[in-house]
Amino acid sequence: MNTPLTSLSPLIHLIDDDEAVRNALSLLISTVGLRVQTWAEPQTFMAAFDRDSIGAIVLDVRMPGVSGLTVLQQLVEQGVDQPVIMLTGHGTVDMCRRAFKAGAAEFLEKPVNDDALIEALQNAVRQHVRTRERHQVNHQARERYAQLSEREREVLGLIISGLTNKEIGRALALSPRTVETHRANLFAKLGAESLAELIRRYATLVDAAEG
Amino acid sequence: MIFMDFFMCCTVSEIHRFRSHVVWVAAAKSVAPCKNGRMLKMRKSYGLWILVWMAVSLLGCVWVTQNEIEQQRNAFETDARIVHRLLSQRAVQHDAIMSTLALLQSSVDASRPEQRLSSVYPQILAVRRRDAGQQWEESQFARAAEQSRAVKRPVLADADFTNGRYWMVFSAAASYAMQIDMRGLAQWSEWPMQPESSPVRVTLESAGQRFVLQPGKGDAHGWRFDFSKHLAAESQPFDVVAVRHVGWAQLPWGWMLAWVGLVSLLLAGLLAAQRQRAARRRAEELLRLGQVARLNTLGELAAGMAHEVNQPLAAILANTQAAGRLLAEKPPDIETAREAMKHAVQQAQRAAEVVGRLRRSVELPDRAAQLQPVDLRAAVNNALYLLEPQLRQLGVTPELAEAASPIVHADPVAVEQIIHNLLMNAMQALERVPPGDRKLILALSAADGLGVFSVRDSGPGIAADVLPRIFEPFFTTREGGLGLGLSLCETLATRMNGTLTAANHAAGGAEFVLRLPMTGQA
Repeated sequence: MNTPLTSLSPLIHLIDDDEAVRNALSLLISTVGLRVQTWAEPQTFMAAFDRDSIGAIVLDVRMPGVSGLTVLQQLVEQGVDQPVIMLTGHGTVDMCRRAFKAGAAEFLEKPVNDDALIEALQNAVRQHVRTRERHQVNHQARERYAQLSEREREVLGLIISGLTNKEIGRALALSPRTVETHRANLFAKLGAESLAELIRRYATLVDAAEG
Repeated sequence: MIFMDFFMCCTVSEIHRFRSHVVWVAAAKSVAPCKNGRMLKMRKSYGLWILVWMAVSLLGCVWVTQNEIEQQRNAFETDARIVHRLLSQRAVQHDAIMSTLALLQSSVDASRPEQRLSSVYPQILAVRRRDAGQQWEESQFARAAEQSRAVKRPVLADADFTNGRYWMVFSAAASYAMQIDMRGLAQWSEWPMQPESSPVRVTLESAGQRFVLQPGKGDAHGWRFDFSKHLAAESQPFDVVAVRHVGWAQLPWGWMLAWVGLVSLLLAGLLAAQRQRAARRRAEELLRLGQVARLNTLGELAAGMAHEVNQPLAAILANTQAAGRLLAEKPPDIETAREAMKHAVQQAQRAAEVVGRLRRSVELPDRAAQLQPVDLRAAVNNALYLLEPQLRQLGVTPELAEAASPIVHADPVAVEQIIHNLLMNAMQALERVPPGDRKLILALSAADGLGVFSVRDSGPGIAADVLPRIFEPFFTTREGGLGLGLSLCETLATRMNGTLTAANHAAGGAEFVLRLPMTGQA
């Protein structure tokens, strides 16, 4: 049942103490081509699940030993970025409010309709992919920024501040020609095609480095 | 399954409570820890009651005593004034007599008419005369005669209080002396007191001498009233002195006792009323607690049931929907779909099993053996008593028409439960009409070996589409209602070989009729 369909297919973690429910839901989810990994206990799940996988978590609120809400809080505290969909047998407004406040992506009542669940899962996966992409981009930018020399970072900062080559040369006591060289180098190292792209990708990084 | 067992326990105990008022006992127990505190408070409040009792009793007694003393004093002073007036009248009379004798002096009468005075005035014991030029042998008389001539009025010559007599002398041309019996001074026919038995002592006093006119009595303890005044005749310079003692024994003990008794009775009545009110309040509180506990338990029961039935339902839904999707694939995955359907069937059986287990454990124990004679009227009164606060709040006074007072063969707790629920139901219907139109008509009767109790309200009545379903479990028209009350009533009635029917009355409003077999008929 847990055989991956493709290595790139998103992975759904399903946590419910009831075996029949677990099996039925995982079958339903797998019909739309999502991989499912099922867990009977939240503790084992917390200890063993693949945090790097792309996908989402489906969590039953009512479980023996530990409440689904507590598990949700722990996941958020540990920085897990997979969206969490809460399932409950009898959801009260208060419980719903608490779940969203704790960071749930969705709150569904059991028995859950297939369309509602699948739509929620697909939304969650899309959201997670986007989050990861954004992280990826940021990560790449940081790596490239790290390759710059001290002088190149200074020049980059001034470029982003909107100074011309001449002005930069005056500020750093360099000839405009040297500035031009640094500029070409840093554009190459950062993989930027245009000034606009450079500013869009690196402005926050530079601010953070200078701040 | 952990939940399942827990909620099964809950279910059973809930039902037992529902039926045997264990809830009341439980509620009473929860009150127990503050029992010591309450006892302390009670003792304290008793102290206060006793203090109030003592203070009020004492104040009343003091007031009664003061009032009595004041009255006695007034009576005493009135009597003393009368005595003074009577004695003064006599004394003045003596002056007049002597003046008249002096006038007679010119025509010397050998018959000596002055000697006949004693027969007219018994207090005059003797009269003596010295004509002009003659002298009194007794030195007091001679001195008095001289003095009398100087002041031109009679004067006292010799007073002998020990023997109760005195002499007066008046001299004009001739000189007369007159001896008076002091006892005769008092006009006993007009005397304001009983001379023998009166507690007032009356004396005449002059220059250290004292003559007792009335002895009086009473000990020297307690209160003392005094009166002292000169006689209104200068010729007889005596003081009229009256004294009265009022002792402890003469206080109005009867009134005081009556007052203390009255205060005790009043306070005891108040105390009893207050205690009754407290007991009533406590009973109401217990009832409310019982209702809350019941609601909480019901809520828990519902939550547990929901979870237990929800799990298989969730599995069934997911399995069937997955099967639908698998069959819609091109080509359809028939094998997996069949597997999913098999799981769905298993889960449906599981749900049925949950419901069955629930019903079996909720199943009422056979109560036929516990049926006993129940006085329907007493049960109705009991329910009315418990609901009185709510009825008062609604502004409804139930009318009870009693054609008979049937004794039915039933389970007393179940009967009270039914009556209570029917009344609650009627009250909820009455809430929906204006206060002026609220009427609750109860009737007790007997027919065909059945005791009949009916509840009719002047509410909006039962809608035609609701009437056939009114005893269905979980059927309710009330927002937030569980829909179990009437269904439970009907089940209970049927179990006791009775019936519960609902109808709309011709005069408007709903009417519920409970029929139960009477004793000896079942």
